[in-house]
Amino acid sequence: MAASSADIILATDHLHKVYAGASEPAVADLSFNVARGTIFGLLGPNGAGKTTTISILTTLLQPTSGKATIIDYDVVRHAKKVRHKIGLVPQDIALYPSLTARENLNYFARILHLPKKMIASRIEESLELVGLLDCADRRIATYSGGMKRRANLAVGILHKPEILFLDEPTVGIDAQSRNLILERLEGLNRAGMTIIYTTHYMEEAQQICDEVAIVDMGRVIASGAPQQLVEAAPGCKNLEELFLELTGKQLRDQR
Amino acid sequence: MILLWANIKKELLLLSRDRVSLLVLFVMPMLLVMILSLIQDDLFRATGETTTTALFVNDDSGTAGALLQQELETNGALELVTEIAGESLNRERAKQAVFDGDFQFVIVVPETFSAELDAGAEASVQAGLRNEEITTKSSPVTIVFDPAVRGAYRSAVINALRLGVVGLELNRKSEVFDRLLPLELQRSMTAKFGSMPPGSEMEMPTVSFDWTSQGLIELQEELAAPEKYTTLPTSVQQNVPAWTLFGMFFIVIPLAGTLIRERQEGTLTRLMTMPVSSSSILLGKVIAHLAICMIQFVLMLAAGRFILPLFGTPVLELGSAPIALIVVASSAALAACGYGILVGTIAKSYDQASIFGAVSIVIAAALGGVMVPVYVMPRFMQELSIISPLGWGLEAFLDIFVRDGNVTSVLPQVLPLLGFFLICIAIAMVVFYRWRRGS
Repeated sequence: MAASSADIILATDHLHKVYAGASEPAVADLSFNVARGTIFGLLGPNGAGKTTTISILTTLLQPTSGKATIIDYDVVRHAKKVRHKIGLVPQDIALYPSLTARENLNYFARILHLPKKMIASRIEESLELVGLLDCADRRIATYSGGMKRRANLAVGILHKPEILFLDEPTVGIDAQSRNLILERLEGLNRAGMTIIYTTHYMEEAQQICDEVAIVDMGRVIASGAPQQLVEAAPGCKNLEELFLELTGKQLRDQR
Repeated sequence: MILLWANIKKELLLLSRDRVSLLVLFVMPMLLVMILSLIQDDLFRATGETTTTALFVNDDSGTAGALLQQELETNGALELVTEIAGESLNRERAKQAVFDGDFQFVIVVPETFSAELDAGAEASVQAGLRNEEITTKSSPVTIVFDPAVRGAYRSAVINALRLGVVGLELNRKSEVFDRLLPLELQRSMTAKFGSMPPGSEMEMPTVSFDWTSQGLIELQEELAAPEKYTTLPTSVQQNVPAWTLFGMFFIVIPLAGTLIRERQEGTLTRLMTMPVSSSSILLGKVIAHLAICMIQFVLMLAAGRFILPLFGTPVLELGSAPIALIVVASSAALAACGYGILVGTIAKSYDQASIFGAVSIVIAAALGGVMVPVYVMPRFMQELSIISPLGWGLEAFLDIFVRDGNVTSVLPQVLPLLGFFLICIAIAMVVFYRWRRGS
């Protein structure tokens, strides 16, 4: 998908991050753009730099060098403004397990500066969207893995962010919950929300992403629409085969 | 303000659901055992052998006062101080030193001590030899003590003094007895036989030994500023504030635990991507836990005032400065909360926080005089005790409860407590800020 500069909602420019004490950069010279209203997949093996990139874009980490902007706000210099525009669904279930889903959402709604009058309706809306309305008053600790993932998503979309970051949101859950999450993400995207998505499941990426960037060793090694990338690679029938072709079959746990 | 309230409400909700944090107890490691052993070693010596220091004012115009001093120093029960900064002591100067908290005891020997001791011994022995009623009266040796001194140590000093006095009395009575016995025998025989013929039977006088248990010198306990205290400080007044402080500081463990759990569960990461300041997150925690501490404080005082008396203890007297009491309690609670935030930001795991938090509190309590009074610790431990926030809090509470303290008089303890809170929060904010910058 070709996007004009006016349509670019997220841009990284030679982004570089070296952790203290590390010899290799986690992210090296990373540059890519994301068009408004798309679902953008950030793919890569373990240790490729996906989570570091997401952390920089969501203001959790500062890059060693380079620049990233979200809706024209620099993620370092205008971090506070960026935080109003983004939503994050982290890989961890970042909820208070001893509180109910509704209590969690109520707390985060206030932290997100939602107007008091809107809080109750937004909570209902989010719970409805992730299919948890009926068990909203149960403690998170009593939820199944799939329910926790869905509650995690509910917090991320509570304030209807312009851009939603999801870091492997479907890890370790049942097929039904995964299907519901993917359906809902597509629905949110149709409603205008830009989604940045990291996953290890290539079929998921091929199913919902408009564009993907495959990163390895902190660098973008391929980017474009999933179908176009597959078609341009002789001998690859799908994104997973292309991914293995590009990143190799050796295990990456040591990185 | 809405954000702060949201954070406070969330913290209170979490606390109400987290029963485990209220049950955190750990075995004290070696360091704690060593410190307590050191302290208790001197505690036993203070109540048994020696080293309790007391001021000694000898107003006696005769020699008995000096002999008493010698007796006390010889039997090793007390270490007597007779001058301060090179100046000899008088009664008023010594009492002021005790009231200021520089010393815990003053023993004052009255001017007529020798004369009355001699007269008393004479009268007592003579009455015994003549089987008459004993009537003696003397000016008391006065022991002036710090209101904050616990009963056990007061008793130890009184007993040591009583021992010295009894020794002196027996000595004098023996001298008199030796002198009077032949005279009384002679008097008795002459009265019966006139001039006695050789070989006639000798009738011995009937001797009463009641005088051996008859004390000649009265000991009198007196407060350093009697016009200010209508009652003596009780064990309840000394123990309740000490253990209340100890309990309040244990808020460190659940407070540090919430920070560590938020880091481990990822909620802190999520919060850091949201438009909320670090200070709002931390302040929310401080205020919620401060409220818990204050409730704890009120309940402990209520127990001292209403529940403990049901089991026969004295009623807890709260002094006459309720504002000062609230100021001290709030300052101590803030210090505890600040320390909890600091431990929570520095510790890498809940285990680290709970072990370090619990042990450091127990050590601070021991150093601060919660378990045994600071003045019975070895000298170097006494010097270390000034670093304990629990010691500052305890000193301030005792000042209010037994020295009629007020807001002004507790400022020397309140200001360090607030300073400690601010330093802890400042360090925690720096660490927090570094997290947020991804350093």
